[in-house]
Amino acid sequence: MQLRIVHTTGFEYDGKATASYNQARMTPQTTPEQIVVHTRLEVTPPPWTFEYRDYFGNEVTAFEVLDPHEQMTVTATSTVHTQRRRAPSPTLAWDDLRTPEVADRWTEYLAMNDLVAPPADLHERLAAIRRDAGRPGEAARAVCELVNAEVEYQSGATEVTSTAADAWQQRGGVCQDMAHLVIGGLRSLGIPTRYVSGYLHPQADPLVGETTPGESHAWVEWWDDGWHGFDPTNDLEPGERWVVVATGRDYLDVKPLSGIFSGAGTSSMFVRVDVTLLA
Amino acid sequence: MTPMFEDYTGSDGPAFDEMFDGSSLRAPYERLRDSLHELSVPELTGRLEALQTSYLDQGVTFDIGGEERAFPLDILPRVIEMDTWSTIEAGVQQRVRTLEAFLADVYDAGQVFEDGVVPRRVVATSSHYHRAAAGVRPANGVRVHVSGIDLIRDDDGEFRVLEDNVRVPSGVSYVMTNRRAIASALPETFAEHRIRPVASYPQRLLAALRAAAPAGVADPTVVVLTPGVFNGAYFEHALLARTMGVELVEGRDLECRRGRVMMRTTGGLEPVHVIYRRVDDEFLDPVHFRGDSLLGCPGMIDAARAGQVTIANAVGNGVADDKLVYTYLPDLIRYYLDEEPVLKNVDTWRLGDSEARDEVMDRLDELVVKPVDGSGGKGIVIGPAASRSELDELRRKLLEDPRSWIAQPVVQLSTVPTFVDGELGPRHVDLRPFAVNDGQRVWVLPGGLTRVALAQGELIVNSSRGGGSKDTWVLAGTGTAGAAVRRDHVESAHLAPPQSTGPAMTDLTSQAEQQQQQRQEPDVPTEGGAGC
Amino acid sequence: MLSRIAESMFWIGRYVERAEDTARILEVQTTLLLEDASGDEESTCRNLLSIMGVGAPEDQVVDTALMLELLAYDATSPASVAAVLGAARESARRARETLSAAMWEALNTTWRGVSSGQFRQRRGATAYHWVCDRAALVNGTADATMTRDEGWQFLVLGRTIERADMTSRLVATAALAAGQGAPWTSTLRACGGYEAFLRTYRGLESERGAAEFLLLDRLFPRSVVFSLNRAEQCLANLESTGQRAGFQNEAQRLLGRTRAELEYRSLSDVVADLPAEMERLQRTCALATEAITRRYFAGAEARDWTGVRI
Repeated sequence: MQLRIVHTTGFEYDGKATASYNQARMTPQTTPEQIVVHTRLEVTPPPWTFEYRDYFGNEVTAFEVLDPHEQMTVTATSTVHTQRRRAPSPTLAWDDLRTPEVADRWTEYLAMNDLVAPPADLHERLAAIRRDAGRPGEAARAVCELVNAEVEYQSGATEVTSTAADAWQQRGGVCQDMAHLVIGGLRSLGIPTRYVSGYLHPQADPLVGETTPGESHAWVEWWDDGWHGFDPTNDLEPGERWVVVATGRDYLDVKPLSGIFSGAGTSSMFVRVDVTLLA
Repeated sequence: MTPMFEDYTGSDGPAFDEMFDGSSLRAPYERLRDSLHELSVPELTGRLEALQTSYLDQGVTFDIGGEERAFPLDILPRVIEMDTWSTIEAGVQQRVRTLEAFLADVYDAGQVFEDGVVPRRVVATSSHYHRAAAGVRPANGVRVHVSGIDLIRDDDGEFRVLEDNVRVPSGVSYVMTNRRAIASALPETFAEHRIRPVASYPQRLLAALRAAAPAGVADPTVVVLTPGVFNGAYFEHALLARTMGVELVEGRDLECRRGRVMMRTTGGLEPVHVIYRRVDDEFLDPVHFRGDSLLGCPGMIDAARAGQVTIANAVGNGVADDKLVYTYLPDLIRYYLDEEPVLKNVDTWRLGDSEARDEVMDRLDELVVKPVDGSGGKGIVIGPAASRSELDELRRKLLEDPRSWIAQPVVQLSTVPTFVDGELGPRHVDLRPFAVNDGQRVWVLPGGLTRVALAQGELIVNSSRGGGSKDTWVLAGTGTAGAAVRRDHVESAHLAPPQSTGPAMTDLTSQAEQQQQQRQEPDVPTEGGAGC
Repeated sequence: MLSRIAESMFWIGRYVERAEDTARILEVQTTLLLEDASGDEESTCRNLLSIMGVGAPEDQVVDTALMLELLAYDATSPASVAAVLGAARESARRARETLSAAMWEALNTTWRGVSSGQFRQRRGATAYHWVCDRAALVNGTADATMTRDEGWQFLVLGRTIERADMTSRLVATAALAAGQGAPWTSTLRACGGYEAFLRTYRGLESERGAAEFLLLDRLFPRSVVFSLNRAEQCLANLESTGQRAGFQNEAQRLLGRTRAELEYRSLSDVVADLPAEMERLQRTCALATEAITRRYFAGAEARDWTGVRI
């Protein structure tokens, strides 16, 4: 599949910002299953930009706007060719997880924090899954199913700063919360798991040439002798409609746009994603 | 026995006393004792008072909770012989080279983890492991431009490493001011020793900072970045900037433009190439770290990443002076340098290892327990001095988060005679030698900062806990700075033309001559007169 | 030179000068009060406070003791010598790496004389002389040890603007005290200019002559015109653009115009309403300070940053 994604986001300030320094993670990754044909990042007012690859291997564009401005808009336009292989079946055994090659190599994806930590009652459900699963890969699949079944997708139910436990408590959340719940759950079982941010074409059978409003999306990958992706929000393995932008330990490592500004009082942000199937 | 050291009997416990071995005097202190022979206690007290006043006048101070205080300096120096110093020097150099190699590895390929020398977990869980610093490549490969390696002397007199400081070690200014103060307080004693000088430190540091400038900058602008006048070490920041002849900037003086760090001057923005920063990592750049920090300058990390500015010491160095990483240092020395450690660590248990934890829990009342990322003596619990409830509280904390703690046996730091309240007594000391790495060579300042706990029996020497300091004399060879040595260098000066003087001076000084002339006048007529 | 440091230098210059001049003014006024028992203590003190720009408490008797608290000893009163010396030292602490060690020590030791309570123990003339001695030490040390770079220019700029301002206040106090003792003589004495004045005016003492000397003399270093001239020179050294016409620098324009007005107007006009004229001069100094701040020190204040993320 060849997809074009136009991701527009930015800030409106209350007053004029005199200076602003930002980091954008809005450029899709090139991987064996995903080739970036074309990508462009535009900012108004025009800034000075600098690109680098961060610790987690993500493409970052750092930019500064030093003219007074009331609004700042970042538009990332990418054309991506996707071709996904079917994921191999679970290979690692539970004992393998305790070896240094897994437990120490991927220690960062096993660390617990408040954002992802599973609440007490989820722990019991996780213990049951652990008992029944022959291999970690099977358990991972079961945890995703559990989260998908229990937590209803509700736009606006949570804040960008909400924790996995918040979403579990109210049994509602967005893709970010579901990803955090699965991450915390799998890490508590000793399975290294990471956060993936990207895009998803919302229609199961998209029409060529039709532009559809899409959204930034998030899902997970766990270690099973290779990173194995899964989208708990849709209870699906990512296919060709999924485009990976960045991976990290949790949402905080992959924020599409973060930065600081000076001068204005407060800001509000806006986001718009348009997806078109090109071929 | 001289009157001065008459009542001094050395350490009263198991601690090693650096002046007396039981009742006999140790070699390094012979000359010190002899030269202080003539001095009485009241005279010493007088000189001490003069010294303290001069420190206040010069403003040699540190801040505790916003209050400026003079840094207490003991009048008696600590003496270290050349041979002992050579070992310290070699040990510190070895340590710094290892820490450099470790940091370069950690922020790049991580071979040390692949080879199983240090678990990746140790680094990944360190609060000073800054992923934002990955990909920032130091221009000349140096990350530890300045380090302070804390040493103590165990009961057998052997120097051991207590901790490494490779973030923003402080205290070197006191080494320099202490030397000047003691040289003027004890001029006779000073003159009788050959002491290796410490005054060249700022030039060494400046040379190392200039060597670290981004590629292609021929004449780099170096600045010292201070958190500001309310920082405890502001005196030091100002002293270093002044003696290096560079600007002392605060975060608000800096601005990043197009990936370059600039400073605001009366003539507009000027580029900065090397920042010797005395601001902690977390406050350097609000884009990557604490968004509420006003102490740094947004964009600085990316400017360093782009190779436009060098931040010294490098961001993320804290992962190497983490007390847990410290426990691996002997292994790291062998791994990176294929050498045996010159200076040993103090025996240390990692609470994260379950076996060690069990042992420590059983012996909590006889050990010292320290948080792994604390500094300034914060959070340290000394078992034998702790109450029952303090130990219970500690036990709870250790079980909650074992990764964050290490334990060590109570080491009786060595003692040195110290003049407190008009009396000489043994006080515990440590030593922080400072090393400067210019990329070619690790240079160790001969001397370092000796911190002394002024209360009798006290083992914590930090200034924030009532510690003071001592001038530390590293002897150059065994000879005296006697006349023979000096005469070699004395050349008789060329006789310059006499100074001009005005009429008043002539009137004053030539009276005798005038009288003489008057007396002689009748006898000897002037030549001119004769010709008339 | 860093804007922040330049600002510190400027204010070191101003504060040290202000401390000295306040001490000189106090010496004149306390002497007058002593010499002329018939004078009204309360109104003299109130007049002095208002000339120094200090609001006197309405509901309280203002006597010499209170006036001295406000202008000399009370470190919480911003116009007091004690507070001003503290501010000078604090400015120096912020610019410490730029100052010579001797200069810093001179300022720090001075401040220690205040903070240790020694200054308060001195009374009357010994206190004022101590302040003048310390100021002379600081200025002399600066003169002997500082390179004549931008920092020096800002130091002298601050000192001379402050001196023009304070001399104008000194003149105003003398004008107000007219008819009471010999205010002009003591004012001239306090400036150390009495003998120079007598030599210049060949012993012909007159109020008009004294005012002229203090305001307009081109050679006496404490006169207003002399001070303004020096300040203009500092600004010219700082600019050194080689500009051939006019002045880009707002401060230069303000000071130059005021100096020229003083010099070219007839003395009778100026002397006719001395207090009002002097207030005008003080306003000019304030405006020039604002212009200098905008031109050289701008951006030296810390910025607030707000973090945002999506």
